[in-house]
Amino acid sequence: MTMAAATIFSVEVPPDPELVRIRDLIYHSAGIFHPDNKLRLLLDRCGRRMKELKTQTLREYCEQLTSKPTKQTELIALLNEITIGETCFFRSPAQLEALRHVVLPKILEAKSKLPQRRLRIWSAGCSTGEEPYTLRMLLLEEAPGRLMDWTAEILATDLNERSLAHAMNGIYGTYSTRNLTPHYRQKYFLPAGEQLQVQPAVRNSISFSRLNLSDDGRMSFMKGVDIIFCCNVLIYFDLASKRRVIRHFYNNLLPHGYLFLGHSESLYSVSDDFQLVHLPGATAYIRGERSEGGK
Amino acid sequence: MNTAATKATLLNRIAGLDHIPTIPAVLAPLLRYLQQPVEDLDVQKVTDMIGQDKSLAAQCLQMANSPLFGRWQKIDSLRGAVVGLGFHRVSDIAMSCGVLNLMPKNIGAIDPVVFWEHSLGCALVCRRFARKISYPDPSKAYLAGLLHDLGIIVNLWVLPKEFREAYEFARAEGIPLHEAEQKVLGFTHCESGRLLADKWELSAPLKEVVSLHHNIQEAHDHVGLVALVEISDLLCRMSGLNYGYIENRQVNLLEQTGFSVLSQQCKGLKDLDWARLTFEMDSYMDEVHALVRSIYRT
Repeated sequence: MTMAAATIFSVEVPPDPELVRIRDLIYHSAGIFHPDNKLRLLLDRCGRRMKELKTQTLREYCEQLTSKPTKQTELIALLNEITIGETCFFRSPAQLEALRHVVLPKILEAKSKLPQRRLRIWSAGCSTGEEPYTLRMLLLEEAPGRLMDWTAEILATDLNERSLAHAMNGIYGTYSTRNLTPHYRQKYFLPAGEQLQVQPAVRNSISFSRLNLSDDGRMSFMKGVDIIFCCNVLIYFDLASKRRVIRHFYNNLLPHGYLFLGHSESLYSVSDDFQLVHLPGATAYIRGERSEGGK
Repeated sequence: MNTAATKATLLNRIAGLDHIPTIPAVLAPLLRYLQQPVEDLDVQKVTDMIGQDKSLAAQCLQMANSPLFGRWQKIDSLRGAVVGLGFHRVSDIAMSCGVLNLMPKNIGAIDPVVFWEHSLGCALVCRRFARKISYPDPSKAYLAGLLHDLGIIVNLWVLPKEFREAYEFARAEGIPLHEAEQKVLGFTHCESGRLLADKWELSAPLKEVVSLHHNIQEAHDHVGLVALVEISDLLCRMSGLNYGYIENRQVNLLEQTGFSVLSQQCKGLKDLDWARLTFEMDSYMDEVHALVRSIYRT
C-alpha cells in the first residue's frame, strides 16, 4: 500500500453509544435522523447545549434529555440548536431539482385536462421566507417553458409574526444567500447595503399569512393544494399533534399532491395515509389509500 | 435503432467473450476453499492465498480499514484483516477488489470510479437491507449486490462504441440504463452478464441475480435474492450511488415486484422504516466515495 493510501484511512473512532442513543431519541420523538456521517454535527450541537447547562458528559446530558422534569424543554432547546442556520435560499438542491424535473411535470400532466391551468403551493412554516422565495424563483425560471400559460399561487404561512415580517421585508444577509448563484442574485435581488433584497415583483407574488398548524378550523380551509413544503416544523410537535397536522395535510392536498419534509425528516410511525416515494437524491410523500381510522 | 440482425451480431460478439480479462487467479480457489465449514478454515492459508496477488492484497487492506466493513482498530496486515473481520468478510472484500479491477479504463462511457461506487454501494445496501428485514440468507446478499451489473463490464469490453451510445442516450433522457440498452442494443446488460456468469461458473443464485435483476418476473429458484438486489439497486440509483447521471423519475418501492416478493419471504419488511434506510445511505455514500477514489488512485 502506498503512503497516501495509508494516511487516507486513518481509522476513526466508533460512534459514542450515548450519542447514538441521543440520535435515536431525536428520531423517535422528532422524526429527524442523523446518519453516521452527520453524528459529528449532532455532537457539536449537543456540546453547545452541554456548555450552556454546564454538563460534563454525554451520559449526563442524555439523562437531561430523558428525565421527566427537563426532557421536554431540553429536547426543544436541542432541536433549536440542530435547526439553527438551516434556513437559506436553495437549502436542498436535490429536492428542488426533483421538484422541477419530476414532480412538476407529473402534476402538470395530472391537471392537463382541467380547464384551469393553476397551481397552488404551500410553504407551511415558512420562517423568514427563504423557502417560498426559492420556490417562486424556480417557478419563474419554468415560466417560459413548462409553465407557459399556467398561474402559480404560493402561500407562505408561519406562526411567528416576527419571522413573517422579516419574510415580507425580504432583506437577507450573506448566510441566508450563500447558495444563490450569480444568475439568481442578479435576476431576482437588489442590493440593500451589505445585504440583498428580493425584488418587489417577487415579494408581491407570495401570500404571506400567520397560521398555527394546530388551528383545526383554519387548517381545514387550506384546500386544493398541489404541493406542501413543511420542513423542520413538525419536529417540534408531539406525536398526537403531528398526526393531526398530517391528517390536515392529507385533506389539503389534491389527489396527485406531494408533501415535502426536511432533508432527513420522516413520517415513519406518524402516518399511514402517506406513502414515501424516492425522487433523484430526495424523498417526498404522496397520498396513499387512506386506511380505516388510520393513524 | 437496432434490428434483430444487429442484436444477433452483438450477442455473438459477446458470446466469444475473448476481450474480457479473467477474474484474478487467486479468487476462484479462495471462494472454493471458503465453502468449507468455518471450523476447518485456516487463517494462514487464506492470508497466503490472497497474499499471492500483491496488488489485490494491498487493495484488500485498504478496504478492510474502511468503517464500511465495521472495524474501528487499524488493521495493518492481511492476517489481521482475516482475524479481525472474519473469513467471509475478507472474501467479500477480495471479490470486490478483484472483480472491480476488471473494469476497462478510458472507454469514455460510464466512469470506472462511478461503476465501482455503484457496485460497492449496492453490495453494502443489500447487506444492510437483508439484515433489516431478516432475510433468510443474508450471507449471499453482499456478493449478489456486488456482482449484479457484471453485464456492464462485458458490454464495456466487447461493445464499447455501442454501449457508449446506449449510456449517452440514458444520460440525455434521464432514463434507466437497461431501458436505453434495450432501445439501442436490443438487449440489456442482464443478457451479457448471464454469458459471463455462465463462463465463470458462478453459483446458481448469483447467475439468477446477474441475469434477472431487471426482469424479476422470470426469476424462479432464487427470486428472493433477485428481489433484494432489485430494490437495493433502485435505492442506489435514486441516490448518489447511481451510474453517474440522474434518472428523472419517481420510484414507489412498495409498487416494485421485488417488494411483493420480499413481503412474502420476510416478516421484517412490513414494518421497515424506508426513510431511515434511505437516510442511512447518506453515510455509506461519503465512505464509498472516499474508499473507491483512494483505491482507484493507487
